[in-house]
Amino acid sequence: MAHIKVERRSMKQEEYTALRFNRLKKHIYSGTYDIGSFFIREAHQVGENEYEYYDSQSVPLRKGDIYFTPDGTAFITASVTVPAGFEGRDYYLRIKTAAEMIVKVNGRYAGGIDPNRETVLVSPYAENGRLDIEIEAYNRSKPDDERNPEILSVRGCRQVFEGGSLVTVNNAVKSLVYDTLLLTDAAQCGLFGEDYSAFVNAELNKAYNLIDFDDIRNEDVEEASRYIEKNIYGSSTYKGSGRVALVGHSHLDLAYYWRRIHTVQKNLRTVLIQMRLMDKYPDFTYAHTQAYTYETLEKYYPEVFDELKEKIASGRFEVAGAMYVEPDCNIPSAESLIRQCLYGQHYFRQKFGITVDNAWLPDVFGNSWILPQILRKSGVKYFVSNKMSTWNDTNLFPHNNFIWRGIDGSEVYACVPPTHFISWNMPSQIKSNWDSFQDKDTGTETLQMFGYGDGGSGCTEEMIEFMHRFGRLSVMPETRHTTGSEYLKDNFEGNKNLKTWDGELYLEMHRGTFTTKALLKAYNRHLEYLARDAELISVLRMKQGAAYPSEKIKNAYKKLMINQFHDILPGSHITPVYLDALRDYESAEKDLRGVIGEGGRYFNTLNFRRECVTFIPDEASPFIRKGVKGRFVMLDMAPLSCGDIPAPEKAEWFFFENGTAVTPFYKIDFAADGSILSLYDKELSRQWAGENFNKPEVFDDRPGNYDAWDILPDYSERPVEIRTCEKLSLINLDGQCAELCALIKTGGSFWCRIIRLFRSSRGIEVENIVNWQEKHKLAKVRFDCNLLTRELTCDTTAGFIKRETHRNTSWQQARFETCMHNWCDMSETGAGIALINENKYGVSAVDSSFSVSLLRAPIRPDPTSDMGIHDFCYMIYPHGGDFVSAGINRKALEYNIPPVKADVVSDLPDFAPLWLQSVKLSENGKMIVYRLSEQDGRRGTVNPGRPFKKLNMLEDIEGETDLIEYTPFEIITLGEEII
Amino acid sequence: MDIQDYIENRIRPCLQGDGGEISFVGRKGTEVTVLLQGECSKCLMLERCLKWIEQRIYEDTGEKVTLCGIRKRPYFQEI
Repeated sequence: MAHIKVERRSMKQEEYTALRFNRLKKHIYSGTYDIGSFFIREAHQVGENEYEYYDSQSVPLRKGDIYFTPDGTAFITASVTVPAGFEGRDYYLRIKTAAEMIVKVNGRYAGGIDPNRETVLVSPYAENGRLDIEIEAYNRSKPDDERNPEILSVRGCRQVFEGGSLVTVNNAVKSLVYDTLLLTDAAQCGLFGEDYSAFVNAELNKAYNLIDFDDIRNEDVEEASRYIEKNIYGSSTYKGSGRVALVGHSHLDLAYYWRRIHTVQKNLRTVLIQMRLMDKYPDFTYAHTQAYTYETLEKYYPEVFDELKEKIASGRFEVAGAMYVEPDCNIPSAESLIRQCLYGQHYFRQKFGITVDNAWLPDVFGNSWILPQILRKSGVKYFVSNKMSTWNDTNLFPHNNFIWRGIDGSEVYACVPPTHFISWNMPSQIKSNWDSFQDKDTGTETLQMFGYGDGGSGCTEEMIEFMHRFGRLSVMPETRHTTGSEYLKDNFEGNKNLKTWDGELYLEMHRGTFTTKALLKAYNRHLEYLARDAELISVLRMKQGAAYPSEKIKNAYKKLMINQFHDILPGSHITPVYLDALRDYESAEKDLRGVIGEGGRYFNTLNFRRECVTFIPDEASPFIRKGVKGRFVMLDMAPLSCGDIPAPEKAEWFFFENGTAVTPFYKIDFAADGSILSLYDKELSRQWAGENFNKPEVFDDRPGNYDAWDILPDYSERPVEIRTCEKLSLINLDGQCAELCALIKTGGSFWCRIIRLFRSSRGIEVENIVNWQEKHKLAKVRFDCNLLTRELTCDTTAGFIKRETHRNTSWQQARFETCMHNWCDMSETGAGIALINENKYGVSAVDSSFSVSLLRAPIRPDPTSDMGIHDFCYMIYPHGGDFVSAGINRKALEYNIPPVKADVVSDLPDFAPLWLQSVKLSENGKMIVYRLSEQDGRRGTVNPGRPFKKLNMLEDIEGETDLIEYTPFEIITLGEEII
Repeated sequence: MDIQDYIENRIRPCLQGDGGEISFVGRKGTEVTVLLQGECSKCLMLERCLKWIEQRIYEDTGEKVTLCGIRKRPYFQEI
């Protein structure tokens, strides 16, 4: 007998309820007055609050008209006489739209309308029975979330205007709508059990039976609400467990599917909406991050900023997150992350008199091991970041509330909430949060952020109404609404039950962001060190009597900071965001170069002796490196001193024939494409190269929807053919450098690989000039090393991290692509191979092989990503001893920080053996600040010869010392008062 | 400014601002063919947008053209 599945075709209770609910919703508005006097002026935003208008004046906007233009801003106005019957009541402006609107009434900011909220209360702003409405609207093509999927159907650059109206609200209906939404979510999510679902469905059906839906009357609606109150909220049959803290928050991407210039309005709209909710709900609090967003509000909307300051002072509006922006926390250097805290905290202190005690980074793509120390020394005790719990693709991160121990042993309290940072406060989301919470035995609550995010907007009335009902739902976990700061203090401070995670917070996803948009990474690294030089040289000039260009440097630094935002520097954004970033970088570079100025002699800005082969611009030389003519010279410059450039050398030192090169250090057999078949070290009498060494590889790279973000683990199964167009040949030779060149082709791209061998250096430099014309490709360079090792060591800029190269467990398997900074190293006892880079961050390693990611070519969100010319160098550096005794970190600093032309004299201590990470004028202008970093994992003392103030990273004085004691990977900040 | 320049230098930045991409393919008489990628490739309202571009071209260059849009949508994005 055939199996026939019995399908119920008659209407279920919950379906009947849903049917009636849709009818009920239509009665939320008790009075409606259509506004027929809208006018519109379309524009295109070209700068912060700067617009180019398509029309010379406004034109009428009628229901059914098409409005908005691609990337357009619309200015909409209407003058309305308050209709009869509305006076003395609360009434709202209602517009159903996919756009984001800031609403002013009679010159005052009333609030915001967007896809998540269609009304704004306007009655308090009426004057003499009149409403002059002004709307600034930005049409968004990308929804912030999928909560309102119906918006997808109207998504696009051009919209149909559905009209606007003034409405009054039937609060009884609205309340029942909220009850129904809440209860149907609880019943339908399945997380509270079948019995509870059946109970709610039955009782809700009974409540709705009290209403005649042919003639919905308020008395019946109120009766239904009373029924629900008594029979559902009043029931304690179904017991819940758990404790969940609810914190209102809106994650705001400074740039993503929109440019930073639009975020000025996104931020205003978000802040306005939250403040208006605070006006309505006295218990409501909200957390907002990023000093930069407060700065823009202060700059462009001072009257709103004044109101905000009051809300902050009263504790309603919470300033969260110590940093200037929410930066990527993999790629920025230690000094950059310190500046994020310094500039953020100083702004908050100056404007609001507060030091924020948390780092609020819900959306960043993993977190470097160097962060805990930086946070602790920047006044931050608590760290919050969501991604590892919700986005890991392989392993469940084992903690939510824990202690995070950093590279130097510093510890912060860490919260990685179990659920996404965007939620709409549904019972299902809260229950899911508690169920997923892994640290129940620590006695802590779990954290649930609620509010729409990415593009801002935040909490809604609906979410707060739900929150007020949670206490009456016995099946729910116990909830409380609190601030982020209170939550962290209450649950972490002194909690002895917390477990410790010692290591980086690696995100098992978004591994492509170490590589995507290579030029941004290159600029970021370059400017980080250029800013260091500019500050150092400015301090030296100041000591000679010149003025310190504080504003100029800070402005340049801020451009660098802003573009470290976690959807800018990682490369996950649309084309105009990329172009904006490049403009910022060019401007910052120009300013910093202007600060450094010109000089007749080269100055070594390193605080250690520079003994390395260095490229020096020289128009008379035949060598061209990164588009600049010059020559390679062996420099020997004292720390923080000027030095002379040696004259060109003449020497017979190099032999090259049939692909075999002989230098004082090596005998090398090259393949035609420039990869190395044999690298025999004459000095150390050993072979370095395995099967594929300096081998270019290109793979098909199609990670799916998260194109710019992800690399999938199977990319290596899809190699792309590489053809050699011109085999390696000698193109230049002088007394110091021999230059070999090969031309290769991959798909639509040409690569010029220039290999440089030196008479006085063990380093082998490879310059890659690439015309990259690919889609969905990943380029790497591979090094199979003739070593026995099971780990790869990577620079973090504040010490090194060792990662296993075997694939024993899922944890190693998931780390198939990781982040490095200036160098990585693969060593066995007594010897190893370092790879020093200028601007590459992605590296993968298996057994005794590693490969550096060079270029990607995603097409989403930016179809033009990474296309064009790239020119980048790296240095292969085989060495005896381990990477510390071989001084690899210093070699990498030498490589990244060339001497600058500046006629300055230094009387600064060199602080050896610590790395002088930064020298600057303090923010208050009273001290010279020195930032020292121990990078080799040692402890010891430095006697600088004079006393210094001991500072934290916010430049607060914490003591005084004339002997610097340092511990492994410690970052020390000292101050010297200016006399 | 000819049509290709206008599309690439005036229209393209606007579409890119919404995550879209447009490139000039060719012209036959008054019919101009453009390739649409990124968000444009899956836009439900593309026809409205093409009409707007035609209007902009007419207002700014005086030329009346008809746009023919070819969508190039990534295979991994079906919405």
